Amino acid sequence: MLSLIAYTNTLSAAPGEVIEVKASSYGARFYRADLRRVIQGDRHPQGPGYKDEPVTLDLGGVRPARRQAIRPGSYVRIEDRGNVLADLASFTLAVPVQPTLMSGERTIFLLSNPGLELLIDSNGRPGARLGETKLSLKETLIRGQWTLLVVSCDKAAKTLQLSAVSPAGHIVETGRTSAAPRKLEGQMTTVMIAARAPGEGHFDGKIDSPVLFDRPLEPLEAMTRLALPQTLSRSPDLIAHWDFSRAMEGTDVIDASPHQLHGVTVQCPARAMTGWRWTGQCLDWRRQSELYSAIHFHADDMTDAGWVTDFTVTLPADLRSGLYAIRLVPDDDETQAYHCVFAVRPPRHGATGNTVCFLMPTASYLAYANHRLGLDVPGTEVGMGRLVEIDRHHAFLQEHPELGFSFYEVHADGSGVFHSSRNRPVLDLQPGVKGFLGGLGSNIWQFNADTHITGWLDHHGIDCDVITDEDLHREGLSLLRRYNVVLTGTHPEYYSLEMLDAVQGFVDRGGKLIYLGGNGFYWRISFSDRHPGVIECRRSEAGIRPWEPGPGQFHHAFTGEYGGLWRRNGRPSTHLTGLIMSSQGFDISEPYELTEAASDPRADFIFAGIDRSPGRKFGAFGLSGKGAAGMEIDRADFTLGTPPQALILGSSRSHTDIYLMTPEDMLDPTPDMSGTQNEAIRSDLVYFETDGGGAVFSTGSIAWAGAMAWNFYDNEVSRMTLNVLKRFDRQG
Amino acid sequence: MARYRITADDVPFAHEFLRDPFGYRSPGLQRILNVMRGLGPEGKYVILCKEPYRRWQLGRLPARRGEPISEIAGIEYHDLASAERDVFLRRWRDLGGPEV
Repeated sequence: MLSLIAYTNTLSAAPGEVIEVKASSYGARFYRADLRRVIQGDRHPQGPGYKDEPVTLDLGGVRPARRQAIRPGSYVRIEDRGNVLADLASFTLAVPVQPTLMSGERTIFLLSNPGLELLIDSNGRPGARLGETKLSLKETLIRGQWTLLVVSCDKAAKTLQLSAVSPAGHIVETGRTSAAPRKLEGQMTTVMIAARAPGEGHFDGKIDSPVLFDRPLEPLEAMTRLALPQTLSRSPDLIAHWDFSRAMEGTDVIDASPHQLHGVTVQCPARAMTGWRWTGQCLDWRRQSELYSAIHFHADDMTDAGWVTDFTVTLPADLRSGLYAIRLVPDDDETQAYHCVFAVRPPRHGATGNTVCFLMPTASYLAYANHRLGLDVPGTEVGMGRLVEIDRHHAFLQEHPELGFSFYEVHADGSGVFHSSRNRPVLDLQPGVKGFLGGLGSNIWQFNADTHITGWLDHHGIDCDVITDEDLHREGLSLLRRYNVVLTGTHPEYYSLEMLDAVQGFVDRGGKLIYLGGNGFYWRISFSDRHPGVIECRRSEAGIRPWEPGPGQFHHAFTGEYGGLWRRNGRPSTHLTGLIMSSQGFDISEPYELTEAASDPRADFIFAGIDRSPGRKFGAFGLSGKGAAGMEIDRADFTLGTPPQALILGSSRSHTDIYLMTPEDMLDPTPDMSGTQNEAIRSDLVYFETDGGGAVFSTGSIAWAGAMAWNFYDNEVSRMTLNVLKRFDRQG
Repeated sequence: MARYRITADDVPFAHEFLRDPFGYRSPGLQRILNVMRGLGPEGKYVILCKEPYRRWQLGRLPARRGEPISEIAGIEYHDLASAERDVFLRRWRDLGGPEV
């Protein structure tokens, strides 16, 4: 298990910039830190050997290790202004709710002074507290169904009333008791929605735009008023209308009343969610935003650990671009070291002179951050065709779900995880960590699999810059244009529009792309300046996906973009790489069988020194499944956009029956859609030139890099990659 | 989820697996593996890396997030094929498979 974990404030920093390190003890008493360049993170005995090197930089001596808490659970917090809430005497709170989990007591709405709390008790019954008085209804709420809860307090009559009303206007139940609000003098009045306090009483489910009036209303009158939210602001008795359908892109919660008692969301609940009045009228929140008046809260939302900084590191001004880690060694035990990985990108002003760029797919790292596929999902072993291997990072993650989820998980209520974040420890973003999915052999995934590429670059003495997806998203082609060649990682699956435009623009303007992965450029994601360090993904129709966002909720809240596959958004990966996702399996990989096209004179430089006899097996070895073609594989498909001039140099001809057709290809399921039976399930090795003088070499296989690293980088896959890189790096 | 039940007719497929736990399978063996490997998560057999790529211990997953993975004392493996064969036979017995 791990005794110390940590994260930094960024995954990319330029020389001379400052990185903040935030650590927490899980048993460690003290730690020391150093800076290391990470070169090759695979520890497999048949691999090229783990390799990193220290950077001479004093990061200070021994530091005490202390525990920092993580408080998962999203909520809204509102501070009173001008004593609008503090002056309340009689009032009515009306709020539609749709609970999705009903174990334990959960707070829907809390007004701290006079101590009003609307809640669901541990039996799923709605209740209200006012000071010492508690009122409960007998009827339980129904999971996944809307109910309007109306709680009112009449100061003159000294009564507290709670009603549950169905969306059709049927009063399910009303309860009443005597109560009188008692003010707590001198205390700031706050409102909490979906939690009693951070980490306490969190609500799972949807809450739709609470409304507060300054007089008691009968439940059906309150319902009538809520049904016409656009008229509320002219009502003199309106105190607040927290209209969740406004400013959905960010963290602001807008009070649409004249009082402007605005609030904020914390821990990134799902916004732009269908509300109690949505019945399928619209599928895009930008068209009828007033119908997207709900927020879906989860007790396990967590996008910011919020730890305080232990220390800062100022990177040397002359530090070369590359992969680095601030290594924290707890209690002088190097075997327990925690690595905070980041890229040192080129300087923001001025270039390094390097003409080769490794594009570190940090968005895809975040998509998989702390993923629990081998822990939560029994079917993972079916798709792996092997036993699930658990290393100490996975065991730690199993016991600490508060570290937050990846896009591959569902929340405790079964709804999909829309957000992933770098503002927390990401245990699998460290060298030496095993994966679940990496295939027979090294069994490494994402970051560690990508170090097969950085190790190869280091082995061949190729100077290159490293930039991250977030750099690419923010700076686009202005950052890429300085390079002759861009190399991808093994699985650059998650792309924002800005990232995709940048790489496509690079190739269109004469840039050379080496796509060293499989299933790349597949899912659409969004970044947002209002949510630093967080990405959003809504897995709409099709795609290999563990959840769907729910009807009417396919558009991202961050940007309004229609989520899902780039293929369904008119930007199939074939346009960029010549290939499209074909299948996945995580047991064994295969060689490519070379085609007649391998002998085309256009491919001479690719095969320099390599036997290209048609039908020959190429790449029948490797650390990721013992073949160069495997894990997740792409095929050329001229009907789906592969450029007609593309040469298909080789193809894998068979895969195990773990490999199945993707949902987007499987329009009409038939029992012949597995790896031993279907021609579409293959990896194609492709090369093509573009009109603008660019060129693309695509491997269509996650396992390719594991073959590059085979036999200490001395093999035909390594040689071919080097042939291509050297030619591509030549100008003109 | 799985509908298939192991019977005496499946014994040849068990032998097929025990000969080579990795790689291509006959459809009959794949069907058995789908049943076995889809079990869980509670009690699902996993292997815990004790020394990377050298030593593993048998473990079982808990029912819920946050609960520890249980380690099966005394059951260790020094190669993945041995682990696969042992877990296959455990699951075979758990699922009522006949003697192989």
